[in-house]
Amino acid sequence: MSHVSEDRFDQLVSDERARDGATLNSWETIAARAREEGLIRDNPRARWASAPWTRAAAAVVVLAGGISIGRWMPTSGGSEPAPAVAQTAPAPARFTTVEEAWATLDRASAEYQSASAFLAANSTLATSVTDSVSIYRNRLAALEQLMDATAAARENAPRDPVINQYYLATLGAREATFQQLGAVRPANLRLKGF
Amino acid sequence: MLIDQLELKRAIAGDERALQRLWSQHAPHIDAVVRRLCGDPELAADISQEVWMQIFRALPSYRGDSQFGTWAHRIAVNRTLNALRKIRRLAKLEVDIEDDSALVEPDTDRTFVAESIEQAMTRLSPGARAVFVLHDIEGYTHGEIGAELGITPGGSKSQLFKARAKLRKLLAHLVDESNSVEGKVHVARV
Repeated sequence: MSHVSEDRFDQLVSDERARDGATLNSWETIAARAREEGLIRDNPRARWASAPWTRAAAAVVVLAGGISIGRWMPTSGGSEPAPAVAQTAPAPARFTTVEEAWATLDRASAEYQSASAFLAANSTLATSVTDSVSIYRNRLAALEQLMDATAAARENAPRDPVINQYYLATLGAREATFQQLGAVRPANLRLKGF
Repeated sequence: MLIDQLELKRAIAGDERALQRLWSQHAPHIDAVVRRLCGDPELAADISQEVWMQIFRALPSYRGDSQFGTWAHRIAVNRTLNALRKIRRLAKLEVDIEDDSALVEPDTDRTFVAESIEQAMTRLSPGARAVFVLHDIEGYTHGEIGAELGITPGGSKSQLFKARAKLRKLLAHLVDESNSVEGKVHVARV
């Protein structure tokens, strides 16, 4: 019986080495086994966030929360009427695609952060300096906790738009609060914590 | 390929998407070595499941000092050889590596025409196939193979020499493409 030449054989071996081929099981099969053994732990938060209606609801909460925080921020004199732009309720938006809605949400979030920063830079307080420092410190402490929670959530789900919105909104509010606190605190008061 | 630490943490924490990404990235190569060592697709599919469970279980022990693919590959080889030992497919090799009975050409081999090296490998004894796959395909040294299979490096060399000779016989009909004459000689696709 003859043999294939050594060169040809080496070529065949080399081809085989480079050939990976199809997987032996589907991911569903592997995942089922892994789940049985407790190697996959279902993340209820991820499941919650993936439901379209909960994502939409969360987005509304982000916006409503942002608006509430923005309105609650002290303005000059406390009794002056709010600027016309703040009194005008925006017309209900009609979206035709999910992408359009998220783009709007992103824009709104960015505008909210920008408005917060503006307010922080321009507002004066009717209340005493001591009260306002206390208010901002309390707010900062709360926002820090929110930051920790959303940052942890982002580690588990970095691409989740709802969590990212919460994170960005919190980041913006925290930055604005820092600026406000910086503006009202006495020069000899140094921030060491909340 | 270096694995992202955050991705690893997620996989260790049981995040399905992180585990799936690891599997998608490495399964083609890991499953290939399992399939070659087993020589039987159904058995290989079963063993592959065990291999992946072992990889997932061992994730916390991955220190990142070698590439993830290399680390996972070692687990795949060890787990597959252990599984084959359990079903006694390697018993003959370990009991008597110098025994050529594993390579004796049965009558069916005289008429067997392998279309590819993978098909030809199925005609090797489990032990000879393991030596050939580990050395020629996976790049293990004879010393490493000896340690894996519980044989001497010399025994591994001897087994490899015989395995290659048998494979070259089984693939004899595959003519060198460079020497073929168009229209006269059929070049088998592999």
